[in-house]
Amino acid sequence: MKKEKKTHVTMAMVRKDLKKNRFAYLLLIPVIVWYIVFCYGPMWGVLLAFKDYKPLLGFTKSKWAGFRFFKEYLAGPYFFRTVKNTLMLNVWGLALGFTAPIFLSLLLNEVRRMRFKKVVQTVTYMPHFISLVVICGMIHIFTQNGGIVTELVNAITGKEYSSLLGYAGMFRPIYTISGIWQNVGWDSIIYLSAMSSIDPGLYEAADIDGAGRLQKMIHITLPQIRPTITILFIFAVGGLMASGHEKIILLYNSLTYDTADVIATYVYRRGIREASYSFATAVGLMSSVVNFGLLWFTNKVAKKYSDISVF
Amino acid sequence: MKKLISAVLVLSMVLGLAACGSSKGTANNPDSNKTSSTSADFNKEVTEVVATENNFEDLVSLRGKLDPTSEEIDKVNNTLNDTYLGDVFDTKIPNDYSKYPYKEDVTLDVWMPSNAILASVCSDINDHYVFNKVEELTGIKLNFIVPALGEESTAFNLMTAGGQLHDIIIDAGYYPGGIAAGVNEGAYIALNDVIEEYMPNYNAWRNSDEDRRKTTMTDDGTLGAVYGIAPYNEWCWFGLLIKQEALDKTGLPVPETIDEWHEFLLKCKEVGYNEPLNYGSTYGQIFTGCLNGAYGVWDWMYVDENGKAAWGPAAPKAKEYLQMMQTWYSEGLLNTDWPTADFNQRMAEAVSDDCAAMMDSPDTMWGYWKTGDKDIDFVGVLNPVLNKGDKPQQTYKNFKSTGTTAAVTTTCKNVEAACAFLDFAFTKKGWELYNYGEYGNVHKIDEKGLPYFTKDGLMYNDPDNQPLSNLIWKYRIHSFANIRDEHNSNPLITAEGSYSGAIRDYWTSNMDDSVTMPPVTLTSEESAREAELGTILSTMRNEYFSKIIMGQLPVDAYDEFLEKAKAQGLDEFVGLWQAGLDRYNAR
Repeated sequence: MKKEKKTHVTMAMVRKDLKKNRFAYLLLIPVIVWYIVFCYGPMWGVLLAFKDYKPLLGFTKSKWAGFRFFKEYLAGPYFFRTVKNTLMLNVWGLALGFTAPIFLSLLLNEVRRMRFKKVVQTVTYMPHFISLVVICGMIHIFTQNGGIVTELVNAITGKEYSSLLGYAGMFRPIYTISGIWQNVGWDSIIYLSAMSSIDPGLYEAADIDGAGRLQKMIHITLPQIRPTITILFIFAVGGLMASGHEKIILLYNSLTYDTADVIATYVYRRGIREASYSFATAVGLMSSVVNFGLLWFTNKVAKKYSDISVF
Repeated sequence: MKKLISAVLVLSMVLGLAACGSSKGTANNPDSNKTSSTSADFNKEVTEVVATENNFEDLVSLRGKLDPTSEEIDKVNNTLNDTYLGDVFDTKIPNDYSKYPYKEDVTLDVWMPSNAILASVCSDINDHYVFNKVEELTGIKLNFIVPALGEESTAFNLMTAGGQLHDIIIDAGYYPGGIAAGVNEGAYIALNDVIEEYMPNYNAWRNSDEDRRKTTMTDDGTLGAVYGIAPYNEWCWFGLLIKQEALDKTGLPVPETIDEWHEFLLKCKEVGYNEPLNYGSTYGQIFTGCLNGAYGVWDWMYVDENGKAAWGPAAPKAKEYLQMMQTWYSEGLLNTDWPTADFNQRMAEAVSDDCAAMMDSPDTMWGYWKTGDKDIDFVGVLNPVLNKGDKPQQTYKNFKSTGTTAAVTTTCKNVEAACAFLDFAFTKKGWELYNYGEYGNVHKIDEKGLPYFTKDGLMYNDPDNQPLSNLIWKYRIHSFANIRDEHNSNPLITAEGSYSGAIRDYWTSNMDDSVTMPPVTLTSEESAREAELGTILSTMRNEYFSKIIMGQLPVDAYDEFLEKAKAQGLDEFVGLWQAGLDRYNAR
């Protein structure tokens, strides 16, 4: 009885809100339409994974293939390696690529001189706007025989590497560090904006209590942006099985398959020989399911320990 | 999931690029010995294919004429008169024009993928001079539908998924599973019943030669598409090139055997070339067989001495080959970054003083070594052999098939007209128009009746200053389902001063190409399995071979590789190709 009343009240509030802010809601319509048309609408297409899809025969007339494409991938010799590489690259990304923007934004937040802050921000954004192909071209040049990064690594390790991209052990660091270089500035924006909405009163109170800069950072700034970090972390974990194949394709070679060949690149090479839509869909469906599981699990954990969750 | 689907879509883009690359490869080939020397190498007998009586005014006087009158130019460009064209190939090009102008008013929708070069010189194919002329001469109107560049596969599949295919599909191989699948699944019509009646010229041309006949049908004899057919086997375009200065500095003759190469490269190193051989592969084998061919370790599928299909990486001498490569690499004879170098890095090394020998297309190297401020002369070298005196071998052969195909779809509104349009490309007049473009402004006719691009013509004096490599699509059609006369009509080959065409001719005529796997077709099921196994095997080969050559694995790791390959179904893979080869031979 009580619950029913509560819903009733909420509904009334929603209705009132809808009426009051109808133009704001109107702006939401394109987004909803976009989701329906491009995300939910095509979802029945996952059935392709169970069919031997031929475009001309169309969806209905193509023969059912059952789990053939799933088996093909799972039983293949490269299943474990591609899954491991996908996970590893993403774990590296999570450990380094995810934390780097947080560090940068914390540091930037401490900078009092606006001019300097602006310059740093612009410089760190810049790589984000350069085409991926150009970025990878630059990485090739930096890591080639005698390239600046190669020389640096040789000087530090005392070894004699020729072209860094030719060593399987080098691929993950190169991929991850260049990823940080590309995205650190861009990804820090969201944290900076979260920081700008922190109540200055908190800092003032801490000042009075005699807190230093580091203490304020640890005890005020970080806890205040924690919800943002948690939400982004949940999403990041939900993407553990996904991979940006474009950059890998531009950087890997047969010497680095060991660490660089991920699910997406394998499907891509497979696809070169044949437009195997069904195979690609089956593999994609598998990783989506795993991703969803991971997302759900992380969300659950986050909810339990911090009360912050996506749903 | 979207990402993965897009991965497949991206691959279509890469396919497009690859296609571009290869056409460019065969395209950029300047040559010094112009015109008709080529015709001598082909079939000995002149085959009379069609004896058609056309009552044309005799224009033989145009042969060798440098200043035709405007009336004569008008007759050449605007009538079907072909009397001024000679029979320059050993097979006579047919000239049955009885279908033209076409009996009724018809407009055909032609789906035709473009490419970067064509798009840069012609914003709308519907305005291209050659196709406009074809429309005028045949009386068949054309409406070209061009998919967005790089989106061809997607566009094609969207079109087929909609069930409504355009009348004619150029590059019919876009159908997933190939042309045979396209016919079986009801997208393309089999032309068998209509070819004799509707396409007399194509029919005569494809039946004029065993290669042409075999490569233009599927295993069961179905004619699923009209294939571009060349008058000859086009030249091999990739191979070994040595800088002339390196030969001078070392004082050694052009190496012929693997041992001589070794000696030559060591000497190069001595005289200051730090990375003497620029290796043209990222995985340890070369598709035409430079170096690996000496050991019979061909890049992929080949036909062995017993006529059986075999997989190169599993050839008996593979370990010897890998041992040799590993030694060469450890001695610093190859460019150190060969597995990771991209095209620009390779070219940068090629023009530097570190490089003595290169593996690539002479056309490409002409551009890098002989233009701008560079003037590095080079010689083409045959693939090395193990024992002096052995015949060098290579595995590039196009079986007179040019790669472009055109299919008539099952939803075509006028099959006869579609056939008539396609058939025109296989007439003498069509040969002239598609390959050489406009008479007068672009080309004239030499004494033998062979068209050529005049020095003062538009081809070599483009008002927009476009590079010659782009003009191959501007004043002519570089590749179509036609009689492609690459050697005589590619301005890059015929341009004055360059010798890269001569190198390609030298490679092609002095190397044995009998090990080349012919263009077999696999059934839909076979090709799905082939794709699966092929990806596994190539991944394995690339990884092991490059690691062994780099010294990251010992040569003995090859045994492990072979074992793994067999466990993954190498025998089944070879079996699929053998079945395809058997059917091909039985055609």
